[in-house]
Amino acid sequence: MFLAFALITLLGALGMLLQKNIIVAGLFMVAAFFGIAGLFVLLANPVAAALQLIVYSGAIMVLVLFVIMMLSSHEEEAAQASHPIQRWLSLLLALALAAGGVKLVMASKGVQMLASRGAAVPPAVTLQGVGAVLFEGHLLGFEVAGLMLLAAMVGAVALTKRNL
Amino acid sequence: MTGMDAILHGGLQGYLVVALLLFAIGLAAVLLRRTMLMQFMGVELMLNAANVALLAFARFRGGDLQATVFYLFIIAVAACEAAVGLALIIGLYRHRDTTDSDRTASLKQ
Repeated sequence: MFLAFALITLLGALGMLLQKNIIVAGLFMVAAFFGIAGLFVLLANPVAAALQLIVYSGAIMVLVLFVIMMLSSHEEEAAQASHPIQRWLSLLLALALAAGGVKLVMASKGVQMLASRGAAVPPAVTLQGVGAVLFEGHLLGFEVAGLMLLAAMVGAVALTKRNL
Repeated sequence: MTGMDAILHGGLQGYLVVALLLFAIGLAAVLLRRTMLMQFMGVELMLNAANVALLAFARFRGGDLQATVFYLFIIAVAACEAAVGLALIIGLYRHRDTTDSDRTASLKQ
């Protein structure tokens, strides 16, 4: 099960990276988000999985796809100047980061200890529990997040409107 | 579970490796693609990789609820970032008629 969702996630992300057509890349991205939601379910966290589906696969990807269609730039434009060295260097950087990180995770004693200590599946996260923690300990943060969403909305309208 | 076994059967290491690979793919998308929308999607991918790692650590610490609350805040910030980022891309497209990040090196007119 874990392997299936991990493969959906990684192949979706890889498809996004390699796809030339931007709309198809966006749809690959949705597949990756669905895979991540599946991983969250396996992590005994259905609340986060539902949020992932609603916010990422729903809201953010619809926003991105709408903008892609509005801008009518479905294909990548021809490069102004080719930077072969920079491209190889960046590919090398990403690969080195991935390889180094995986090596670190596999060799880490602390991660191994945490993995064996928490091997038993904990009770699934419930919305009730999350709500209690959120409103008991993080009420101010919750309010600030609401204010920030409002500010972002006003900012987005102000940036896209031609003349207010 | 250790080594390959943990990766194949969903141990903590497996989730962390998935998160790392996801982050690397997102980074590659930001660095290799020139369309700003693709770079934006790469950033979203990197953010999601961080979320996977966060919730994986929470599960292996006995289902910590604090992490889900943090995830809620991260998602709120990501929504703000998506709205403002896409608005900026639309604004730039209006002025320059392009979404190529090489051609839009400056935000000024």
